[in-house]
Amino acid sequence: MKKPIIIDCDPGLDDAIAIFMIINNSKFDIRAVTPVAGNQTVDKTSRNALNLIDFAGADVPVAIGAAKPLFKKLVTAEHVHGKTGLGDISLPGSHKEFSELNAFEMIHQEAEKFERNLEIVALGPLTNIAVTLLKYPDIKEKIKRITLMGGSCGCGNDTPAAEFNIYADSDAAKIVFDSGIPITMVGLDVTHKALVYEEEINEISAYKNKISEVAAKILTNSLKFCRKHGFDGSVMHDPLAMACVIDETVISTESLRVDIETKGILTNGKTVADVFRVTGKKANADVGIDINREKFIKILKKAMMNYDI
Amino acid sequence: MQDRRPIIMDCDPGHDDAIALLMAFACDCLDIRLVTTVGGNQTPDKTINNALKVLSYAGVGVEVAAGASQPLMRDLITAPEVHGESGLEGPVLPPATLKKSERNAITAMANVISKSEKKVTIISTGPLTNTATLLLSHPEAADKIERISLMGGSCIGGNWTPAAEFNILVDPEAAGIVFNSGIPITMCGLDVTHKAQIYKNEIEIIRNIDNKVAKMVAELLDYFELFHKKFGFEGSPMHDPCAVAYIINPNLFITKAYHVDIETQGEFTTGATVADMRYASNKEKNVDVALDIDREAFIQLLIECMTYYS
Repeated sequence: MKKPIIIDCDPGLDDAIAIFMIINNSKFDIRAVTPVAGNQTVDKTSRNALNLIDFAGADVPVAIGAAKPLFKKLVTAEHVHGKTGLGDISLPGSHKEFSELNAFEMIHQEAEKFERNLEIVALGPLTNIAVTLLKYPDIKEKIKRITLMGGSCGCGNDTPAAEFNIYADSDAAKIVFDSGIPITMVGLDVTHKALVYEEEINEISAYKNKISEVAAKILTNSLKFCRKHGFDGSVMHDPLAMACVIDETVISTESLRVDIETKGILTNGKTVADVFRVTGKKANADVGIDINREKFIKILKKAMMNYDI
Repeated sequence: MQDRRPIIMDCDPGHDDAIALLMAFACDCLDIRLVTTVGGNQTPDKTINNALKVLSYAGVGVEVAAGASQPLMRDLITAPEVHGESGLEGPVLPPATLKKSERNAITAMANVISKSEKKVTIISTGPLTNTATLLLSHPEAADKIERISLMGGSCIGGNWTPAAEFNILVDPEAAGIVFNSGIPITMCGLDVTHKAQIYKNEIEIIRNIDNKVAKMVAELLDYFELFHKKFGFEGSPMHDPCAVAYIINPNLFITKAYHVDIETQGEFTTGATVADMRYASNKEKNVDVALDIDREAFIQLLIECMTYYS
């Protein structure tokens, strides 16, 4: 049976590659894409999602989600993802319509339909999932796993203590982490090791299909940005989370208690992982600790190679 | 000898504090002018008594002054799980012959600093309440403090809460004052102290040194080891001795300068030393964070210090 999954995201440049990685994967039944405000405003991330899916030749409903975090003011990452949210990538505008359902109704409907089998991969702030859990608390029992890109056991990237996706809506993250739903946390501890090197970007570019060309362009631009920040390769946060959904052995994980700080002056949005196990609290997340980078690259390349459009 | 560095040792003995004190007094390059104590590993009455007992046993003469009775804004947390009821469980020591100073720690610190011809270095191995109170009550002292080498904090997760290391957690407001003081700081946190472990065979080397102080240190380490075994450590982290070793020989350490500030309001993160390791803020670097240590050379130094008491 194909695995039912919802892609909750905020495309977003690295989201775009992540979507390309799975949207035509025959092992998955992609029930919906639910965009949220994050890297850009929700009107832009939704439009980008629709265009990306159409561009990849897929037919998946796009159910628009939250326009802003639960309580905090919206902060976007325009400095990374540009005015449109997709940097200088311009895609043909899709003529398809958005789903009549919003993200919350969509997530609820699918969770009910695939009782205990639905997975969610979350690539942006966790607002959509949190709102759904607030409105339909019963679905906690019905979601198989949330694999999310977010957080860090070490320091952050948006603030010294917090990673962007969690910081952007720390209250939503708290609701999700406290929900009891099995969580795989793909945070900076592993995504900073998910580097795509220049020669690998060139290989992807050489596949000469229109998806690999867009992906290569995104990777090349990201490489320039990442080099300025001291990385040797292009750091692929969201694609790593997606690779973990496709093959969970891409990362090694440790089961840890993770609490989300929402009150700190300096630490709001920190994923406080009990790495030395001092609380005695039950673990609530499988936290990515290390990565098999070669395997990640293999999955990424394979997905890009498979397009013949 | 002419280059002896004036030092104040601020501590809460404490097994590793006691070892840190004995290390410092064994080193000719340090001129320890004052020992001050604070509540932390145990209550303040016990930590002053422990300091007096250890120093008396080692035959050291120095002014020992009792400091703050509680953190600036909070109730005291102690660590009997680690250090036992007395704060120094293990060896049986005779009553102290040294008497505690008539002056309180803050007055004594201010006086030692103002009288010193050279800038004074503070080695802090407990909560930072005394130093913070000094800076609040004698702000002019800041200019005459060369550096504060402290054991505290962590960039890799805490040992008392998931986010906080014990010394900083006990008095985060005090830590905030010290870290924001502009005084050069070396932070020997769990990042380095967990790498500064002493192993069983090395404890035996210390036990076989021909003097009673070394034997007492071995007994302290025997007790200290029990707690750390429970948490899966192979040896015992020599937390506090790191702060002393850095002053004796900074070349044993790899440090990196970061902006570090202290969380005081978090639900889960109070007492976290928030180090901006990816330069997400543009705030000025204020702390040299110790990240690695030449463990074997450090243990060698510790062993050499213990032979001093023969």
